[in-house]
Amino acid sequence: MKVRNTLMFVLVSFTLILSACGGGQAATEAPAAPAAPQDTAAPTEPAPETSAERKVVTLIWTQEFDTLNPLYTNMWFVSVLYPVYMCQAWWYDENNDPLPNLVTEIPSTENGDISEDGRTITLKLRDDIVWSDGTPITSADFKFTYDMILADSNAVSSRSPYDLIESLETPDERTVVATFSKPYAPWLSSLFAGSAGISIIPAHVLQPVFEAEGTIDTAEWNKAPTVGCGPFVFEEWQSGSFARFVANDNFWLGRPKLDELFFRFVPDDASMIAALVAGDGDVGTFFAYSDLPQLEEAGITIMNSFSGFNEGWYINMHPEKGNPALKDVKVRQALAYAFNREKLVQDLLLGRTDVAATDYDRSPWVDPTITPYPYDPEKAKALLAEAGWADTNGDGTVDKDGVELVLKYGTTTREVRQDTQAVAQQDLAAVGIGVDLQSFDSDIFFSSYAEDGPSANFSLDIIEYSDSPQFPDPDASVWRCAEIPSDENPAGVNTTGLCDQTLEDMFVKQETQVDFAARQQTFYEITRYIFDNAYWIGLWQDPDLFGFSDRMTNVKLSGATAFFNVAEWDVTK
Amino acid sequence: MTRYIIRRLLQAIPLLFLISLVLFILMQNMGDPLATMGGRKVTRSEDRLRLARQLGLDKPIYVQYLYWLVGNDWTKSDMDGDGVAETPGVRKGVLRGDWGISLVNRQPVTKVIGERLSNTLLLMLTAEILIIVFALIIGIYSALNQYSTLDNTITAATFVFYSMPVFFFALGAMYIFSVNFKKWGLPYLPTVGMFEPSVGQTPAQVLWHMILPVSTLSFGFIAGYSRYIRSTMLEAMGQDFVRTAKAKGLPRPEIIYIHALKNAALPIVTVVALDLPFLLGGAIVTERIFGWPGMGRLFLDHVSRSDTPVVMGILMMIAIAVIAFQLIADITYAWLDPRIRYK
Repeated sequence: MKVRNTLMFVLVSFTLILSACGGGQAATEAPAAPAAPQDTAAPTEPAPETSAERKVVTLIWTQEFDTLNPLYTNMWFVSVLYPVYMCQAWWYDENNDPLPNLVTEIPSTENGDISEDGRTITLKLRDDIVWSDGTPITSADFKFTYDMILADSNAVSSRSPYDLIESLETPDERTVVATFSKPYAPWLSSLFAGSAGISIIPAHVLQPVFEAEGTIDTAEWNKAPTVGCGPFVFEEWQSGSFARFVANDNFWLGRPKLDELFFRFVPDDASMIAALVAGDGDVGTFFAYSDLPQLEEAGITIMNSFSGFNEGWYINMHPEKGNPALKDVKVRQALAYAFNREKLVQDLLLGRTDVAATDYDRSPWVDPTITPYPYDPEKAKALLAEAGWADTNGDGTVDKDGVELVLKYGTTTREVRQDTQAVAQQDLAAVGIGVDLQSFDSDIFFSSYAEDGPSANFSLDIIEYSDSPQFPDPDASVWRCAEIPSDENPAGVNTTGLCDQTLEDMFVKQETQVDFAARQQTFYEITRYIFDNAYWIGLWQDPDLFGFSDRMTNVKLSGATAFFNVAEWDVTK
Repeated sequence: MTRYIIRRLLQAIPLLFLISLVLFILMQNMGDPLATMGGRKVTRSEDRLRLARQLGLDKPIYVQYLYWLVGNDWTKSDMDGDGVAETPGVRKGVLRGDWGISLVNRQPVTKVIGERLSNTLLLMLTAEILIIVFALIIGIYSALNQYSTLDNTITAATFVFYSMPVFFFALGAMYIFSVNFKKWGLPYLPTVGMFEPSVGQTPAQVLWHMILPVSTLSFGFIAGYSRYIRSTMLEAMGQDFVRTAKAKGLPRPEIIYIHALKNAALPIVTVVALDLPFLLGGAIVTERIFGWPGMGRLFLDHVSRSDTPVVMGILMMIAIAVIAFQLIADITYAWLDPRIRYK
């Protein structure tokens, strides 16, 4: 954070000073304003149009959309809205089970929509699906979306999993056949569906743009998708202020109960909290745990949505750059025993969630016999002693062969993470492990190896964050040997630097296991293996926190596609 | 004078070039725009490599700068990743008016900035007019009534306001005029936004929403400028030409506003010209606190995503503004003081 602020200061100051050509006063750009106190930042205007005639729900969004074209965004604040203004082959319900949206049924081997070799997935489309302007949605829209994702002239945010598809065919208007080069187990969460997947885009709107300009990167539709296929349709977006989505009368599953979703963009969390408490907003999200009591007191209902994120420590196991002390499993396990994570969850997270045991907690992929390492500092000390670490010089930190056990522990500047660092430092110090705390803005922390990012250049021993690449699918690149960042592979995402052949073989195996039970068994082995080796030490299960005003009814949340039943939302007053 | 202006403009060219070069290098250390792309998930390595190639981020920094400056329509890029540059570039570069495409939303930089610039200018220009008007009134009054009770009160107040941070004034004003006024049942001011969406962007709504941010932007500057004006007016009022004007029996308003103020205004022009771009910097804080959809919030949002094209566009606009305001200040000197001749 300090680095970012300093650089911002330097940028603005340099501009002003140098362009002033040495004359006059040096400009001193003020740092970003601190968050406004909750009781001073309340938007005092009444919520827009809440008359009996029109049912309007106001969502308070702390991050403005970048683009509304699903192909071009990675922002959670946009992708969570796909069930609002776009459509996918299927959504996921509150149990994270697939719920058909554009298709008549979910493909399976039983209904013949998955080929015997597991490579071909057939989507059978409903015959009543239409875009908001009345144009039928056909397989051509799927094909067009696929072509746009793979077009080299389109800088889309992700090509996964479409770059693994050997062919995508549309034998008729109602059928889409995707053939992968080899069985692809995660298709359910990413093939035109799920939080990792994207929505289809309207060919009849964007095809002419692509033909005229050779790209849809800069299409007007990206910012104003006036033709959509969700229960609501885009109406207006005032940059920096608000966006409106109104009911789509042509939605094939029935007109939504609400007339409008109004998104107000506020500068920070404090403004969001104040708006919700003052009754000027109905929906908010990503709360700090410390704000929850105040919200609940104001009548806001907090709902947890587990979307696969589990906060934890990735241990740097890089063969050359990793700390030699951490190559010993006893030292890694000592870290887990030494940190009172139960207390952390109670104190910092107000007991609203649980300690995470594995990176797959709250999913069906975890070996049910796994429970988190308990807090046991004596056990931690014993493990350290067994590994040869003892405080021989009496400075409070254990040492071995003249080397003190001091670990570099880095994470992002998210408040709860920095608080966690402070608590961990105390707990680990109690067993003789020193910790050097470091924190970074997220786009610096997650910078690639090529950009010398601290999570990728193996300069840290403990790397804290949470990730959920393809929820609800468990496939992940972070443990794969081929993903270790290096000069040859500067974009690798394996932040642990670990290449464990046993683990690698299991991950390779699960990739092609289309059968759920077989794949689940493999993941039981994977989670047990990672847990026993303490390659990843869980901190807490990290749900998405949503708050809803007391006038809202019928709200359900899914971990994969949170607002899957937005058409059913209603208000009582 | 014309030759002077042309010379100054020519001098600005290498200066702007140098500024752009250093800023571009600094921006490379602001983070990786492809790390998470504003999301919660780390970007897949295949996508990172592809996007770096498609957006030209895989090129050495001097090549990226060259493309930003002069475009890449004279060369070809490897868009399909086969190692062969096959696709002709389409960027024209800032020298030909193409400021590039935002890495965040793929919109042209000029469009992204254009959507917000008018909002910031509205806030800034209103604040600047108020600053000058009120500073003149207060400064002249204090000078003409030196050591009066009101002058002493104003002096004390200006020191308090001048030393008060912008964010403190903003939050204090919010607390009093919005939160407490609402609590007390009085007409209260809105705290965020530019207008109430259900009412629409009417002049009345915008004016109502401008009160707090404009006050925040103005208070410190009014306090500072009024001190300058008081001081220079005091000095001017003691000059021989004022005594002569009085001896000739000129009306007092003419002596004050035509003869004394015109001479006293010279240093003020310098300060105003230097502070105008500073106000742009100050607006970053004010706009964030009051949720004003202007350049300040745009800058913060895009810096946090390491969006080099947009951030460069904003910073270069500020740089150009500084140079332009300084030139305007020089021209104003000549108008105010006939003794000044530029060659």
